[in-house]
Amino acid sequence: MSDDDALTRMRHAFAEVELPATRTLDEAYAVKVKYLGKKGLVTELSRALGSLPPDVRRERGQQVNALKAALEQAYDDHCRALTEQAEQAALATFEDLTDVVAPEPGTLHPLTRTRRALERVFASLGFDVADGPHVELARLNFDDLNIGPDHPARDMADTFFVAPPPGSRWQPGDLVLRTHTSPVQVRTMLERTPPIRIVALGTVFRRDDDATHSPMFHQIEGLCVDEGTSLADLRATLYRFVSALFERELQVRFRPSFFPFVEPGAEFDMQCPFCGGKGCSVCKGSGWIELGGAGMVHPAVFEACGIDAERYTGWAFGFGIDRMAMLMHQVPDLRLLFEGDVRFLEQFPC
Amino acid sequence: MLISRQWLSELLTPGALPSDDAALCAALTSLGLEVEGCTRHGDGLDEVVVAEIVAVAPHPGADRLRVVQLHDGRGVQTVVCGASNVPAPGGKVAYARPGTVLPGGLAIGAKPVRGVDSAGMIASEAELDIGGDDSGILVLPIDTARGQSLAAALPGVRDTVVELSVTPNRPDALGHVGVARDLAVRLDAALQVPQLALPAVAPAEDLVALQAPSRCGRYYGVAFEHATVAPSPAWARVRLHRLGLRALSNVVDVTNLVLMLWGQPLHAFDRAQLAEGRVVVRCAREGERMILLDDRELTLSAEDLVIADAREPMALAGIMGGQRSGVASGSSTLLLEAAWFAPAFVRRSARRHGVLTDSSHRFERGVDHGDGLRFACAQACAWLSELCGARPIALQQRDGELPPPRRIVYRPARAAAVLGLEVPSADAQRILAGVGVALDTADAAAWRCVAPSHRPDLEREVDLIDEVVRHYGLDRLPMRMTPPSAPATAGRPAVRARQRTAAIVTDALRECGLHELVQMAFGSASALAVTGDDAAADDIVRVTNPMRTEAGVLRTHLLPGMLDAVALNLARHGRPLRLFECGRVYRHGPHPVDDGPCADIDRTLPHEPMRAAVVLAAPEPAEASPRRVGEALLHALARLGSAATVRVPAEPVAWLHPGAQAEIVADDGVVVGRFGRVHPRALAPWSLPRGAGVCYGELWLERLPDLRVPRYAALPRFPASARDLSLDVAVDLPAGVIIEALQQAAIAVAATGDDPPRLVAGDRARAAIEWLEDYRGEGIAAGRRAVLLRLHYRAQGRSITDEEVHALHMRIVDTALVALAQRDGALRRR
Repeated sequence: MSDDDALTRMRHAFAEVELPATRTLDEAYAVKVKYLGKKGLVTELSRALGSLPPDVRRERGQQVNALKAALEQAYDDHCRALTEQAEQAALATFEDLTDVVAPEPGTLHPLTRTRRALERVFASLGFDVADGPHVELARLNFDDLNIGPDHPARDMADTFFVAPPPGSRWQPGDLVLRTHTSPVQVRTMLERTPPIRIVALGTVFRRDDDATHSPMFHQIEGLCVDEGTSLADLRATLYRFVSALFERELQVRFRPSFFPFVEPGAEFDMQCPFCGGKGCSVCKGSGWIELGGAGMVHPAVFEACGIDAERYTGWAFGFGIDRMAMLMHQVPDLRLLFEGDVRFLEQFPC
Repeated sequence: MLISRQWLSELLTPGALPSDDAALCAALTSLGLEVEGCTRHGDGLDEVVVAEIVAVAPHPGADRLRVVQLHDGRGVQTVVCGASNVPAPGGKVAYARPGTVLPGGLAIGAKPVRGVDSAGMIASEAELDIGGDDSGILVLPIDTARGQSLAAALPGVRDTVVELSVTPNRPDALGHVGVARDLAVRLDAALQVPQLALPAVAPAEDLVALQAPSRCGRYYGVAFEHATVAPSPAWARVRLHRLGLRALSNVVDVTNLVLMLWGQPLHAFDRAQLAEGRVVVRCAREGERMILLDDRELTLSAEDLVIADAREPMALAGIMGGQRSGVASGSSTLLLEAAWFAPAFVRRSARRHGVLTDSSHRFERGVDHGDGLRFACAQACAWLSELCGARPIALQQRDGELPPPRRIVYRPARAAAVLGLEVPSADAQRILAGVGVALDTADAAAWRCVAPSHRPDLEREVDLIDEVVRHYGLDRLPMRMTPPSAPATAGRPAVRARQRTAAIVTDALRECGLHELVQMAFGSASALAVTGDDAAADDIVRVTNPMRTEAGVLRTHLLPGMLDAVALNLARHGRPLRLFECGRVYRHGPHPVDDGPCADIDRTLPHEPMRAAVVLAAPEPAEASPRRVGEALLHALARLGSAATVRVPAEPVAWLHPGAQAEIVADDGVVVGRFGRVHPRALAPWSLPRGAGVCYGELWLERLPDLRVPRYAALPRFPASARDLSLDVAVDLPAGVIIEALQQAAIAVAATGDDPPRLVAGDRARAAIEWLEDYRGEGIAAGRRAVLLRLHYRAQGRSITDEEVHALHMRIVDTALVALAQRDGALRRR
């Protein structure tokens, strides 16, 4: 048996017998190591070349190198085939992805959503958000807002009174649950110097309970105090606010009205955002939706807050956040907002 | 306030009112007189006419029916009538011709009644909805022309009644004259109000004594004799009916008509009931008693003003008459009161006694003490003569302290500055004069004005500016954006930080799949007692006039409100609940306040810290996991940039399960919240479905560390090395304790030198110490568990060797185990 035959047999054993028998890359590698590794059969042949005479060694060396290359090639081909098979096998599986469901999303309360939308729009109009306590001094809730103890307007808000704690310096009647966010106006004017531009959003309380009134509800109050600002600025601000909030141009109109802390005072309506003023079921065909009250800060309020009523003018407005939320989300009954039925709450995911 | 269009039209230039009701309502609304409703009356009554009785005969087939022949202007008709008050021939009645549909919906036809043909019907007030009397048919004055429609004979039959919501600054609009005055300016029409003179009788000296001049500014007393108390004529009855008032007797009806016309409350006393026939306006004596017209008995104080006779109170001034003050059918001598009482006293008295009347409503807002009062008094005198045949015999006017005239300077330039609109001077002057302001415009820049007595609300320049723009038209206001004179002053950073914290916590809890709810701030003391372990009774904020006793305090805790929501939901459906709320709780007591001018006030007000609460609940306890509550709260803290740890509380709260509660500690060591399973006894008051599981947790937002802008830290450049630690520990030795012991040990044994390895976040984990496994069961003794932790080590600027990691790891573990052995003597490595 010649050496050539030995090489041929080795090639046969590797490429035709042992390698094809392997099913994984690891097994194939083991076979490769057996022949081509440091102590492999082919490596042994190479090592043995050194003992051959130079003329034989040259020819024999070429033969061994050719064998090595052939085995490497066979190995690479086999590995490629194995990888392809494995890939095909992996791709032959079926993973059913059609049963995915969204994890239940958390939700924000419609009041929070509405409140944030209002804050965002007013922030873009240059208003800062101010805040005040819910249990308020009657003086700040009424007297400093030009609603004296005998003012009939004290009836407009049926007031919850809070009992002063033992040892308090206040008398019964001095502490109230704020009936509007307007005391934040007073607090802000006491704390800051003009120019002032704030909105105050928050909880207010009145003794009222039916389908359209809740003893607790929410208001937003806006206040601007500056030199040279006027009712025309108020109207323009409200126009820009409603247009920005509903992302379409909506007009604002004033109707004369009375709030003791503003003069002139007005109620303001916006064009119905659902029909653009043409008339629909939401605005009951009128094309307009009542929003709230507005007007020029009464000089008596400026005086109570130590602001020069001749140098400065100011305006204020306010409206109900609950009503706005009901309008935006078409909620028919105020009580739904506060009872906490999860089937209601989960309707506001975005 | 109900306003009759018909009456209004009589007070204005004929034809001035817009013929369209909607246009009238729009005009009123544009004047600030808000229209709440508008009702047309008498539309179907065209074929109801005045008919003259021709003959009356008994019905052949029925005792109580009569066969009436009447002439309706077209001819003689035969009508069967059941009323007992059919007048004799020549009398006038309201005849509804066949085809008429009455306001109640009854269609009138022609058909036999018990065998006698009857065409049409003779109607009563009530059937025509022009009055309340249904005891018999309406009998008209004998001189009423037959054949004309009833609406022509009685102007109020066809009318539009507008319901106005009058703001408290406009007492003048609580009468037709005031509304007409406003409309006259708006419509550029003339006001045509009857301005009668007081009766020309000798001034009396002893009719009225005014002993409380500070509370009664003016008092007219007019004495009458020969009054005949009887029902009022049809026109008066219709008018009152349309305005929602019941016609009573002519004397009372006259006072009500004047009330509706001038907005001036009057009182008519039966003078025969007045001791000595005179009245004394005085303060009540302390403890004096009187019975009102509506039978309420009052105990008076010196704060009350009464109209007394020589002996005792006959009326609570400006509020309501006394039982004996009223005019009865036999009265023939009267004393008419027309007065101005100081608003604040009327208001306090009415509130104190809880007696709110049409009269007190007007007096406390301020009625006219000038011309309006005199005209109202004169009108009442005229109508008492006309309707009751009463003859005035004596009159006395007494004046006390009246409000001084209000002199106001109006600067057109100031008006333009306030409004952002220049109202032409001619328009402004026309408007001010129209509402009754006396004007001197000699100085074109500063008009001298005197406000009229019927407009007590006009006190300052802005009030006049308001009048001008109200009449000129708010719809003419331009839109203008005046740039701010300087950047607006900013608020306190602390306030903004609180707002931001609350917003981030809210967002974070929503991200955990929770639903936000908003609860009432009210609670009941008993429900709050569930969490009462930390609320002293004196600190609870109590509402003195709650709507319901179970809402008598402000919440000190969010848990009871959350349990209300849980109970409601579990009763309505069986779905598992995941809810959160971010809101204030309230408590008296010392608390930190923001600096500033309100700080002294704020210190005396209750503390109102923000709390965030999470509740998970399900009909099956297993479905509600306190771990999920804790995860949500930790997520919220993580979103605030705060690394928090959880530990078993040193002082557990009684309303959470004693073995399933934990507290959350922020990285600055402050306890910022707690969570756990709600104690079954705490749930008891809510009667939840049997077996329901409720888990609850809360964060105290005021204790949370301030939000920091996240700062970049260099990314690790060298690999970390991990070592596992397997322990056999008691099941009740908390993971938090084990981890904390390891962390403390790492600090205690920290290697010194240049860049030593440290226990820090790993390559494959964010935590330095991972809690990998918690195994109980086979191979582990009862009451014990096998836990597997992984600790990560790294040096900042170099690769670390296995040897130094091993050495550090062993020192940390050994130190920690020594510490933990005090808690769990059997603790050992596995």
